[in-house]
Amino acid sequence: MTTSTLTPTQRYAAGALFGLALRQAQIHQTHLLGSSFPVDEEADAAVPDRSSSSSNSSNFSSSDADSDSPQLWTHPSRGLLRPVFRFLEIDSKAWPGLEETASYSDAKHHFWAYLKIMVEEDNGRSSEKSEQELVLAKSIDAMVMSLETVHPSEGTTTGRSDESFESSEHASSKLSAIREEAIKRYNGANDRGSRPADNSVNYPRKVTILFELLSACVADSPQDYEKASVRRKGYDARHRIALRLLATWLDIKWIKMEAMEIIVAFSAMAANKEQQQSQQSDSTKNKWAKWKRGGIIGAAALTGGVLLAITGGLAAPAIAAGFGALAPTLGTLVPVIGASGFAAVASAAGSVAGSVAVAASFGAAGAGLSGSKMARRIGDIEEFEFIPVGGNHNQGRLAVGIVVSGFVFKESDFVSPWEAFEDNLERYALQWESKNLVAVSTAIQDWLTSTLTRELMKGGAMMTVLNSLVIALAWPAALLSATDFIDSKWTIAIDRSDKAGRLLAETLIKGLQGNRPVTLLGFSLGARVIFKCLQHLAKSGDNEGLVERVVLLGAPIELKDEEWVTARKMVAGRFINIYSTNDWILGVTFRASLLTQGLAGIQAVDLPGIENVDVTGLIDGHSSYLSTVPKILEQLELDTYYSVFSYSPQLSE
Amino acid sequence: MASANQGDFDYLFKLLLIGDSGVGKSSLLLSFTSNTFDDLSPTIGVDFKVKMVTIGGKKLKLALWDTAGQERFRTLTNAYYRGAHGIIMVYDVTRRDTFTNLSDIWAKEIELYSTNQDCIKMVVGNKVDKLNARAVTKKEGIDFARECGCLFLECSAKTQSNVERCFEELVLKILETPSLLAEGSTGVKKNIFSQSQQRTDSPPPGSCC
Repeated sequence: MTTSTLTPTQRYAAGALFGLALRQAQIHQTHLLGSSFPVDEEADAAVPDRSSSSSNSSNFSSSDADSDSPQLWTHPSRGLLRPVFRFLEIDSKAWPGLEETASYSDAKHHFWAYLKIMVEEDNGRSSEKSEQELVLAKSIDAMVMSLETVHPSEGTTTGRSDESFESSEHASSKLSAIREEAIKRYNGANDRGSRPADNSVNYPRKVTILFELLSACVADSPQDYEKASVRRKGYDARHRIALRLLATWLDIKWIKMEAMEIIVAFSAMAANKEQQQSQQSDSTKNKWAKWKRGGIIGAAALTGGVLLAITGGLAAPAIAAGFGALAPTLGTLVPVIGASGFAAVASAAGSVAGSVAVAASFGAAGAGLSGSKMARRIGDIEEFEFIPVGGNHNQGRLAVGIVVSGFVFKESDFVSPWEAFEDNLERYALQWESKNLVAVSTAIQDWLTSTLTRELMKGGAMMTVLNSLVIALAWPAALLSATDFIDSKWTIAIDRSDKAGRLLAETLIKGLQGNRPVTLLGFSLGARVIFKCLQHLAKSGDNEGLVERVVLLGAPIELKDEEWVTARKMVAGRFINIYSTNDWILGVTFRASLLTQGLAGIQAVDLPGIENVDVTGLIDGHSSYLSTVPKILEQLELDTYYSVFSYSPQLSE
Repeated sequence: MASANQGDFDYLFKLLLIGDSGVGKSSLLLSFTSNTFDDLSPTIGVDFKVKMVTIGGKKLKLALWDTAGQERFRTLTNAYYRGAHGIIMVYDVTRRDTFTNLSDIWAKEIELYSTNQDCIKMVVGNKVDKLNARAVTKKEGIDFARECGCLFLECSAKTQSNVERCFEELVLKILETPSLLAEGSTGVKKNIFSQSQQRTDSPPPGSCC
């Protein structure tokens, strides 16, 4: 497109970089970056073998061996790369070369080469274009500022947050140490070639590259359907994870990407609006006030008049577009505004929205997640409902978080553990089967406070019990009978969590999250819901682009029987298992299968590509997940591409 | 991309085409892979094609990388020298500068960036169909090839004369080289890199035939 600030060669290089990132991101599904990530490819062959006992792992190793395999994300049949190339107007003759380059696992050398092209091509560039890049970079910075200022005010909605702030301060020194170590480890990995650092490309250029790629990812470009299997409209989780990696490579903070996402979302809405032509732009004014409160305009004003013009122009359509129509539903972004400001954005952003109809495909087909009870029910599921959490709703967020509690004493426990944790996701809490969950949680609590248990605890017996559980040894008869009355409730809860998982999967497949990448977080039985959801996604076809990240905390999931490899594949980005070796509630209640099979919530999952985080030091029982979740999540730094927590030594066991 | 039927092959060879812009690298490749000739626009970056052939009784999968000759892509194409089993240096027999550039630029590029010590090099003079415009004699070509230890052929992508022979001779030479065979055999594709990485420190390859 003529409006792009990048030259054709630079767009070509951008496409190549994106392809490389996409392929590397897929490799990181099975080889964690910075840990056992293989420098040389001979390790490639070895690692999948370790898990070859499970059913599906052979697929992946074979795909590694053959660069033509449709298993690869870079393969044309995946429909992930070519639409991006087309959007960037890269000559279709060059596509096979780019795809093959990307699937070639030796990314380091190519990355450098393509990045150099970005700089070298500068001769004869008009200063106007550099200015446009600069303006784009500035407006993104402004958006970042507004994102950052919005947070604290949201955080004060609950008393809990203060608490967590304190605790986070308390832990900060330890945290920074961990982080430094992780970065060191990560940089170590760089030296061996997984991430080239660079300073050669200037910041506005980098931002422009990412911005154009992001636009290409969300753009709804026509497909060559004969070859590509049907691709869902919208923002693919794999695209987002590739962008995340690329941003890491380019040393651009993720929050800038999030700012870009918002800009693109609004641009898309405005563009869509252009097409539909305004019929009613009446309710504009009061929405403006609402948007102002969001902080965007304020931030723009801070950074000066030019930016006010740009960001203001950007925001104007957004407000009107968004809030009225969006409020009731999560997805349907039907803009309702005259796009006067849109022209300004288009010129600042160069290409993107101006010339291309970035269709607002984030609209949900149905009613969306929020407030809509599932019409369909599976089995005995009586309750399955999404509750908005946090303050990021209807603000053009291009990523969704779904949080699932699993150990609850009252209804608010579905929401409260997740409130204090701040990120830029549009977050929803899944409230499910509260009756059953409260019953089982209370039963466990009662049992805990019973005399027998107290006696056992006093003698330190519980720890012994758990240890013996893990190594499948003796089981005290006294304990067995004592837990009998939990069992029936627990069995029901397990059954319901499996069904809720299926329901969640179907919700995602239907696209009620608005075709946006989803991050799933859950603890206890909630983690099991998520895991079952992943399994169901795997079973029902090509659903790899839905889920971006997963965090399981204290998950009651067997290690042996369940298909971890299959579930892992459904997650484009990080897959984190958080466990506590002293979580004996989990051990006791789940003992039946535990004896032979191992349990994710109390030990590491030994599968390449799954991050295991031992939080034994932070958790003093299963129920403490309720209060520690924000702290743990904060430490995970989910927005970082690579793992921040130290790796558990148990991984190799 | 690649055709569907390529499950079985004995060896996988990576071949690379380099040379000045407009000498006919892409045409040569097109002529070889699909027996056609067309007016092609300059290659962007790199192009990639796969061809299954049976040469010397072996089923071979040839991964053919066609690089852009334009200077602005030079940095980019450098990275593709790695792990190549065979490199074809193409010049245009009607343009003398494309021939002199082989020794001035392209042979040096190979020394710098190729990681395969034993990699087979070949000099190919293209466009011999333009009889009247010839600016480089066959003898000059042969002499240069001998000097730097390369195979030599003249061909025409347009008339397709000698095109197949280029690739055939190159591949036969690779098949005669045990170290390249070891890398090219099925399933060890991945190891190309680890082996070649160790070799980067060793002195640049000298003559190979």
